[in-house]
Amino acid sequence: MTVPTDSGERRRAGDRPPLVTELIDGATVQEITEQAWLALVGEDEVLVPLPAPMPADALSSWVEIVGPWTGSVVLTCGRDTALALTRALLREHAPEVLIKEEDVDDALGELANVVGGNVKAVLPGPSVLGLPETGSTPPPGREADTCRVDVLWRGEPLTVSVQSHAERENEVPL
Amino acid sequence: MTLTATRFDWVRQLVHRESAIVLAPGKEYLVEARLLPLARKMGLSDVDQYVDSVRSRPRPDDTRSIVEALTTNETSWFRDGDPFTTLTSTVLPSLLSARGPAERLQIWSAACSSGQEAYTVAMLLEDAMPNASARVSITATDISREMVERTRAGRFSQLEVNRGLPAPMLVRHFQRAGSEWEVAPNLRRMVTARECNLAAPLPRMGPFDVVYLRNVLIYFDLPTKQAILRRVRELLRPDGWLFLGAAETTLGVDDSWSRVVLGRSSAYRPLKGA
Amino acid sequence: MTVRALVIDDSRAMRRIVTGTLEGFGYETRQAGHGQEALDVLHEGWVPDLCTIDWNMPVMDGLQFVNAVRSNPAWRAVTLMMVTSESEHGQIVRALAAGAHEYVIKPFTADALRDKLALLGLLPQEVSL
Ligand SMILES: C[S@@+](CC[C@H](N)C(=O)[O-])C[C@H]1O[C@@H](n2cnc3c(N)ncnc32)[C@H](O)[C@@H]1O
Repeated sequence: MTVPTDSGERRRAGDRPPLVTELIDGATVQEITEQAWLALVGEDEVLVPLPAPMPADALSSWVEIVGPWTGSVVLTCGRDTALALTRALLREHAPEVLIKEEDVDDALGELANVVGGNVKAVLPGPSVLGLPETGSTPPPGREADTCRVDVLWRGEPLTVSVQSHAERENEVPL
Repeated sequence: MTLTATRFDWVRQLVHRESAIVLAPGKEYLVEARLLPLARKMGLSDVDQYVDSVRSRPRPDDTRSIVEALTTNETSWFRDGDPFTTLTSTVLPSLLSARGPAERLQIWSAACSSGQEAYTVAMLLEDAMPNASARVSITATDISREMVERTRAGRFSQLEVNRGLPAPMLVRHFQRAGSEWEVAPNLRRMVTARECNLAAPLPRMGPFDVVYLRNVLIYFDLPTKQAILRRVRELLRPDGWLFLGAAETTLGVDDSWSRVVLGRSSAYRPLKGA
Repeated sequence: MTVRALVIDDSRAMRRIVTGTLEGFGYETRQAGHGQEALDVLHEGWVPDLCTIDWNMPVMDGLQFVNAVRSNPAWRAVTLMMVTSESEHGQIVRALAAGAHEYVIKPFTADALRDKLALLGLLPQEVSL
């Protein structure tokens, strides 16, 4: 694993804040996500590292990290996938059991919290983790400052991205 | 689809010859599940094809991969509790009073898997005696090269540190290393990891004061268990201690040991003159 | 003897997972969605053997809850176990310093909870072997 260690030097006054890609790599985010799936979703639940088009009705959940690096950890998948994840988390396998929308929001949010907390521990600290939110429009990230992992779970696309906020001026102007 | 009987048999014999691990009939599913990743890595779609390819052109690497894939490496920190807590409450005081101050205590974790057992012992001794790293050496061995390398690295995933490691010990003896946790350098220096097949003549090691031979005899047949206990006894000091797994015993296997009840578990000590 | 646990987490899914696991070990459980709700349960007189405590929650977070429980001698016998995705070295140190006895990092498996409860001597005898 190649996690760049935080030497502290990178954060000298006047320097630009670090880009997230200098702090964490895709392999680490993937590993964190895989462990969350194995432990909480089920021990045979593998994530296959392949990108695939996201359905139009995608749902996201996210947590904010505020500290030396500030941004969000965002989990995105189709609504059916979110529902299947909720059933798996609640161990509710009977199809006739109705899963409410708020249960989906809660379960997907908790997955973002679990992945986010572990991402936070890899980033330089101290930083604070926000409460999870769920919705169809996550905070916009900045393309140039995003570490993103695309996987398939049970054949359906799911992405995890660690992204700094678009509205934050995190970078010195060119 | 399941593995054909002749191919299962070939794998069973190979694994038994190389490691003494007994794969009973009915374990076809296990062989299939564990070898499938190896087949895929060679671009083959099933285990039958993989077995045929290895049989037609045997290479030592394949043999090793097959054996390693069929070992069960399940382990945790302080597994079963008492075999570790009694190390510092009972075993260590008796050893320290019997040994000179300059004598090094030698401890063997004889099927160490990813190293949790060896580092559990290292942490306990580090917390129990001043200058532990100068006084104790821990040898950790396993048949699996991958497990030996993992033990040497001393890095554990989040899921692994959750398994039985008391939080105060986690913060005292580990540092974050990316998404993993790394054992402190002073503990890593106490532990020497090396490959060792318990079912073959043992390398020159020891003599040991304490041997942890836990949750590995269960994979072997009676003659192998007897041979291993005999070889372990040769490397154990006459006043040494042997810890077995909760489901393992010397009773009815090798009568040259006496059982000592320690807490809710037991230790075994060589019988004099046996 | 039944062992009682109060499961404190703002996620219903997580409360379900933790209570399901503990009930599998023979626990009697109650739930709370944040620290204040949990304190209300204790004040009501339902004092458990164990609290499992998430860190980040609305109204009152897990660390504040630990401080509140530790400041009341009547609750000295309650074992406090953090169960949270907060996983930095420094955060674990903070929680232990505040008086938490154990710390389980999310994600965790049922085995991990069982191992930790065994360490704490809070595993009913039947499941410990
Ligand atoms: C279930 S683990 C036990 C780990 C640890 N002792 C414990 O109690 O948690 C069994 C280990 O035995 C090793 N093993 C199996 N056959 C062996 C052999 N013939 N020689 C040495 N090690 C062997 C496996 O590679 C595996 O890591």
